Amino acid sequence: MKANAGALTNFEVLDFLNSRGASKDTTRVIAPIARSEYKVYDYLVETAASTQTRESVTKFADKCKDFKVAKAEILNIINLRPSSIVELLPIIETPDDRKINTDGILELVKDLLPPLPTTETHEDNAEEETDNGEQL
Amino acid sequence: MFYLSELEHSLRVPPHLLNLPLEDAIKSVLQNVFLDKVLADLGLCVSVYDIKSIEGGFVLPGDGAATYKVGFRIVVFRPFVGEVIAAKFKESDSNGLRLTLGFFDDIYVPAPLMPKPNRCEPDPYNRKQMIWVWEYGEPLEDFIIDDSCQIKFRVESISYPSVPTERAEDAKPFAPMVVTGNMDEDGLGPVSWWDSYEQIDQEE
Repeated sequence: MKANAGALTNFEVLDFLNSRGASKDTTRVIAPIARSEYKVYDYLVETAASTQTRESVTKFADKCKDFKVAKAEILNIINLRPSSIVELLPIIETPDDRKINTDGILELVKDLLPPLPTTETHEDNAEEETDNGEQL
Repeated sequence: MFYLSELEHSLRVPPHLLNLPLEDAIKSVLQNVFLDKVLADLGLCVSVYDIKSIEGGFVLPGDGAATYKVGFRIVVFRPFVGEVIAAKFKESDSNGLRLTLGFFDDIYVPAPLMPKPNRCEPDPYNRKQMIWVWEYGEPLEDFIIDDSCQIKFRVESISYPSVPTERAEDAKPFAPMVVTGNMDEDGLGPVSWWDSYEQIDQEE
């Protein structure tokens, strides 16, 4: 028995469930997928994993090695897709002591990992609000 | 959050599955045995990933079915200590907060690990619940923890309580895996708290 035969990102689990035929289809009888697996699927489609592709995730993990962050931290970044510094800070342990370039990581996240459709609209709203504020 | 684990298990393939190819039959037995179950120190089994080896196929004396020794890989949910996870609100009472991931409900944020300084007040709409409020800023502003958005927490510890032999009348349902979360840090807690953070920063 080997308890740890490799960590999986949220994306990989979602990809695996997709490959077995899971979908957002409401009938849910055709695919041979258990109800408990669908619960996991429902959680994952609402995370950033639903917009990621295999290429973007591997490319991101490769480039992230330059920042000297731990593997678990890379995994956590891919799963959560932090878009601002305050979202990134809890993931990385003592970034100042280890001299980690957090801005660089955020740039990389923006370049390689696509944002969630919902958060994108939210950002738009926020921008509009600030625009209005300036006019006033 | 998710891991692959390699396991070995002896299982009995009942005769009504003999019409299926062997691998499919074994997979369906494995799914019945493991799916949505917690293995102690391993985590919550999510999905059978693949089958590595099948050995045996003996019919034991007095048994009407073949027994196989199967090596397989399984996807388990097992958060690591220090991981940050986005979850949803489930309940809150004076002891703290309970969060859910949809497929896993036993995540607790105890009162000492709530964002400080805080206070706890009765919920006017639900007598069983308490609302937690984080008091922050100059002048003091109230940040309420409710079910309006996702809540981020950091995994503080994971425990696998053993099955109790005696059960009190009013005890909570037994949970084989309990995750304790921490929310007392910048960037943790309801995501809406931090949405406007950068804007404020820029204005300053």
